[in-house]
Amino acid sequence: MVPVTVTVNGEKRTASVPPETTLLKLLRESFNLTGAKLGCDVGDCGACTVIVDGNLVNSCLMLAGQADGRDILTIEGLATADRLHPIQKCFEEKGSLQCGFCGPGVILSAKWLLDQTPNPTVPEIRDALSGNLCRCTGYTKMIEAIQTIAREREDASPVA
Amino acid sequence: MRAFEFYSAKNASDAVALLAQHGPKVKVLAGGTDLLADLKFAAASHHPNVVVDISRADDLRGIGMTDQGLRIGALATHTEIMRSPIVRAQLPALVDAAHTIGAVQTRNLGTLGGNLVTAVPSMDSGPTLVALDAIVTVAGKDGKRQMPLVDFFVGPRKTVLKSDELLVEIIIPKENVGKPAHFLKFGLRKGQALALVNVAAAFWVGDGNTFKAPRVALGAVAPKVIHAPSAESFLEGKPITPETMAEAGTLAVNDAKPINDFRASASYRRDLIAVLTRRAFEGAYALHTSRKAK
Repeated sequence: MVPVTVTVNGEKRTASVPPETTLLKLLRESFNLTGAKLGCDVGDCGACTVIVDGNLVNSCLMLAGQADGRDILTIEGLATADRLHPIQKCFEEKGSLQCGFCGPGVILSAKWLLDQTPNPTVPEIRDALSGNLCRCTGYTKMIEAIQTIAREREDASPVA
Repeated sequence: MRAFEFYSAKNASDAVALLAQHGPKVKVLAGGTDLLADLKFAAASHHPNVVVDISRADDLRGIGMTDQGLRIGALATHTEIMRSPIVRAQLPALVDAAHTIGAVQTRNLGTLGGNLVTAVPSMDSGPTLVALDAIVTVAGKDGKRQMPLVDFFVGPRKTVLKSDELLVEIIIPKENVGKPAHFLKFGLRKGQALALVNVAAAFWVGDGNTFKAPRVALGAVAPKVIHAPSAESFLEGKPITPETMAEAGTLAVNDAKPINDFRASASYRRDLIAVLTRRAFEGAYALHTSRKAK
């Protein structure tokens, strides 16, 4: 067994898991954080996307042991009990998600993009979402939502 | 995933010691983008008993100039290469190549060393480095050895690495840092595609606007990344014209051995080699011209 201590969404968590446990499995089965999804399990679909030490990654491609000591943000870390994150709010208003399976990954990819590039171009948005496969809504409304958030942030004072 | 023992190496020499101790059924884990997929789905015969994680070996990281040239640590991620100021300024073709790999998530995880060690013939980081005559350093229990990257590759998914050896760094020789180069990839879509053909060209502009030390490397059209020697020797000393660049493309076709598969026919790949080689030389020349204008 491998002992793992990570900070997840600001909270320190520990677990002891078999070496072959992925970060995704650790999050879902040890910590009951089921926002990140198991899709393709090989890093193509992006449903398992999380942010580790500021890097957008596929949690299915990282072993829990590799995540030991690191800081992890999952989709559960964005909203508070009474308030959606602005990106989630905008996706909701624009109808950018239908079934929602890809949503946690897409929204974290959007957050990562906007953190790096406050005013992304459409090609930059498409590039940032190319690791997240959506098979129902399509990408048009996601791109519109991300553009809207960027514009709103530019108009208002910066939002975390 | 089947069970294995897991060890985390503190640095390169620790990793080499762990490999020697646990080999030969041992695998090195860096970014995990290839290895974890293999561990989940590869045949049992390929399954390791031990995984040595090198992702915390900080001496394998970093991008910077050394006496020998531009050193890229084996653990440098594709994203780190894309963001490196020195790579962006001196060798933008490496940025373009890194950008065509996978998607954001896999570029943040995946490492240059991992891409080279996996040695898939269509790897996108190979051609530009081969065209720049890159050298690799391999560490083993008896010390380090260096070789040209092109000789590091043996065949599909096969390199010269022994089970107790580790790729530690990739060096672009200092005489080639800044050499105008251009990378092109042709895939069936823009996102997360494997290359049908990828090509990199590099050359200096010699006296009288001629090709000096021209290099062209091809991926996905042979068992490993290859030079196109007939194109290279044809261009040496020739004037830089649309005709000579087109002829180099035609010659490069005969240096390759493309296969038929479900992605494309060999004859389509041959057509791509000619066109992409010409365009890669045009792109390298455009970089030279734009730098001169500054």
